[in-house]
Amino acid sequence: MEAEPREKAVQTEPYLVINMALALVIALILLYSLVFSPAGDNYPIPCIHEKISGEKCPSCGISHSFSLIARGRINEAYSWNSRGMSVFIFFAAQLILRISFSRSYLKNPDSRRELVLTDITGSILMFLTAFMPFIVFLVRML
Amino acid sequence: MEDQNQNPEMPGNQERGSSGQSLGVASLITAIITFVLAVIPCVGLMAVIPGIITIVLASVGLSRSSGNDSRRGLLVAGLVIGIVATLISISQIYVAGEIFRKSGKWPTKIEKMVDEIQKEIDKAIEEASVDIRIENGDNNADISPASGKTARERTLEELETGKSSLSDTLSSP
Repeated sequence: MEAEPREKAVQTEPYLVINMALALVIALILLYSLVFSPAGDNYPIPCIHEKISGEKCPSCGISHSFSLIARGRINEAYSWNSRGMSVFIFFAAQLILRISFSRSYLKNPDSRRELVLTDITGSILMFLTAFMPFIVFLVRML
Repeated sequence: MEDQNQNPEMPGNQERGSSGQSLGVASLITAIITFVLAVIPCVGLMAVIPGIITIVLASVGLSRSSGNDSRRGLLVAGLVIGIVATLISISQIYVAGEIFRKSGKWPTKIEKMVDEIQKEIDKAIEEASVDIRIENGDNNADISPASGKTARERTLEELETGKSSLSDTLSSP
């Protein structure tokens, strides 16, 4: 009895659709870290900055770092990119938050507005914390 | 006609509103992904393409949902985030150019440093005290100048003209 309205809500509520889509994208990123191995060095995404300028940028080696974190080799991950850990934690936390916020959204119809506002504020703060080195680099170069 | 356009409950407007909502959701999802991509320096340049897609989606959605304010929030959010993300992505092109310009300067600086060091080494060698031994068949000449290039040159000139100073030792067997 309860499954039908829940299914309908997932299809019609924009918040839930966005959450599911973002969770899927984050899951693909984490899968990418598991599929491509640091030993094989077969990462399909090159650093465009390095290709153009010949200089390394702050996000160089982040794919390596992600793969190593996914395999539990934290020390090696730090040596590839020291910011990799914070970005990886951001994505992993966002995957958990997308699922848990969607569940709360369905369970508490009365406090949906507060939930969405909390989600937006929290996610912006998390994003700024994780990506601050890249933002600082960008601002310094401009 | 006017009332039908304004009323969101009418079937035509409902259809338009639902397509506007779908476009709004699509534009907001692509806008968020574009924004995250745009901030990462390695892939920031690539974010221009999804950024433009986001702007197009949001613009089409806004034009379709004109008159229905309830669904415009997602589209406006998608459009704003999309424009900001595209601008950040475009700025990455400038940043890459800036790095390229700087990297072009660094070898010149290194070259200048190497040249200066080379000159200092040459000067040090020229000013060093060096003993010269000239052998011509049975005749040998040992030149021990006091020091420096100028002293050696003077000694050589004196040898050529047949004079020799006291500080030089000229021996022949």
